Amino acid sequence: MIDVQNVSMRFNLGIEKNNSLKQIAIDFFNKNARQSRKEQKKQNEFWALRDVNFTVKKGEVVGFVGSNGAGKSTLLKVVAGVMKPTKGQILVGGNICPMIELGAGFDLELNARENIYLNGAVMGYSKDFLDSKFQEIVDFSELHDFLEVPVRNFSSGMVARLAFSVATIVEPEILIVDEILSVGDLNFQQKSENKMRSLISGGTTVLYVSHSIKSIETLCDRVVWLEHGQVVMTGETKEVCAAYYKSQVG
Amino acid sequence: MAYSRMECKKGNERAIEMYIKNIFNNFRKYSFLLKQLVSRDFKVKYKRSVLGVVWSLLYPVLMMCVMAVVFSNVFRFSMPGVNYLVYLMTGLTFFNYYSEASNSAMSAVVANFSLLNKIYIPKYIFPLSKCLFVGINFLLTLIPLYGVIILTGSGETKCHITWLHLLLPYSYLCLLIFTIGVGFILSTISVFLRDMFYIYGIVITIMTYFTPIMYDISMLAPWIQNVLKLNPLYHYITFARTIILYGEMPSVTRFLICGGSALIVFVIGIVVFKKNQDKFIYYM
Repeated sequence: MIDVQNVSMRFNLGIEKNNSLKQIAIDFFNKNARQSRKEQKKQNEFWALRDVNFTVKKGEVVGFVGSNGAGKSTLLKVVAGVMKPTKGQILVGGNICPMIELGAGFDLELNARENIYLNGAVMGYSKDFLDSKFQEIVDFSELHDFLEVPVRNFSSGMVARLAFSVATIVEPEILIVDEILSVGDLNFQQKSENKMRSLISGGTTVLYVSHSIKSIETLCDRVVWLEHGQVVMTGETKEVCAAYYKSQVG
Repeated sequence: MAYSRMECKKGNERAIEMYIKNIFNNFRKYSFLLKQLVSRDFKVKYKRSVLGVVWSLLYPVLMMCVMAVVFSNVFRFSMPGVNYLVYLMTGLTFFNYYSEASNSAMSAVVANFSLLNKIYIPKYIFPLSKCLFVGINFLLTLIPLYGVIILTGSGETKCHITWLHLLLPYSYLCLLIFTIGVGFILSTISVFLRDMFYIYGIVITIMTYFTPIMYDISMLAPWIQNVLKLNPLYHYITFARTIILYGEMPSVTRFLICGGSALIVFVIGIVVFKKNQDKFIYYM
């Protein structure tokens, strides 16, 4: 279903410096400066992912753990097609629903009804699909009384509810989740967690990133542990989680 | 997307077929998003103003009133045998569309970085939606233009609405395609070079004077005329003026120049954009 082969991703941390006119002028007249800057550029290179390999079978739930900056989110973005990998290739069979950050497509000036359609379109849904699911989205978000209110007047919890409801309305073949389970108040948290569980157990292939070992352990079939852009360990949830926990707590 | 890449190796004919099919599917899938983005812009633009959409009509009318007073009364511009007010308005309508659409298309990709960073959306959709949105505004400004044609058309300088007006959409279409091409180029450059926002402001000001909006090109020296004729906008505007002011059929050469220049710029824009779009992500 998903096949990630030798994927590497390079970022250039000092990329802004290249653009200044002063630097270009210095480079133009001074050969030494040019050379030293080339070296500096190499030093500024940052490999967010190095030779990452893994495959995910249909219906599998794979968790990703690792410290901050280990490359988890980058990996998910590469799989979702947001970024093209510097090296390697990714084969994906099936439509992807990325839930990397909720509410990214909202326009604060529009009201909830308009935002459901706008955000749905951003996620790649069709008009007919949104028409048929509109009531379900509204019911799930419990925002019946606020449909005509501009989202700019919403509380952040309400925005999160609306976003979650729109994002999870599909039954995608591949679901990419980057820590979004805890949105809204206690009641809605419960509800959204149940929804996630039903999505996941419904045979969807899921890539799941979280810092909560507990939720990884309950949800995932398999875990990939990333550190400094490299895969440290892949395998059964229990083993990997135990090893990861040990390395973190010491 | 990835599957098609794999299958491309199987055979050239099949690859091309897949490629075209892919583009078509992609476009169909995202046409709803395009519609949503255009209607979003439209809703947001006037949401908090009292007069709302009326401004789309009122704003160009007031602008043209100012220009008309300045140029025909203060500077005493006039053109023998030609309705100067209509002459001016035709040029302004076209040029305002170009400057507004290219400006907002330029910032479209940069402004939507936060979205492009999170989810896969074809990037061309943002400059395209801006050009289409301003296009709707352009169609609205045709209403005051025709208002002036009807009101002032029966003076000593006549301009009647004839069946030739049915050819005008051709010049609108050329203008749209040309502007989309320019929008693609500008939005690509502005990702790599943010200075472009300032540079282009100056370019637009220069273009305002180097496009025959308020004067006629024949007033100038021959060599300057030839330089000004390199500006495709000149040809679109002249195409429209030939019909509106003189009631004549534009020459075949004019037809070809309009369509050709629009298509060339459009193709260049697509190539530039497509070649660079994967690098955008590094310049956020």
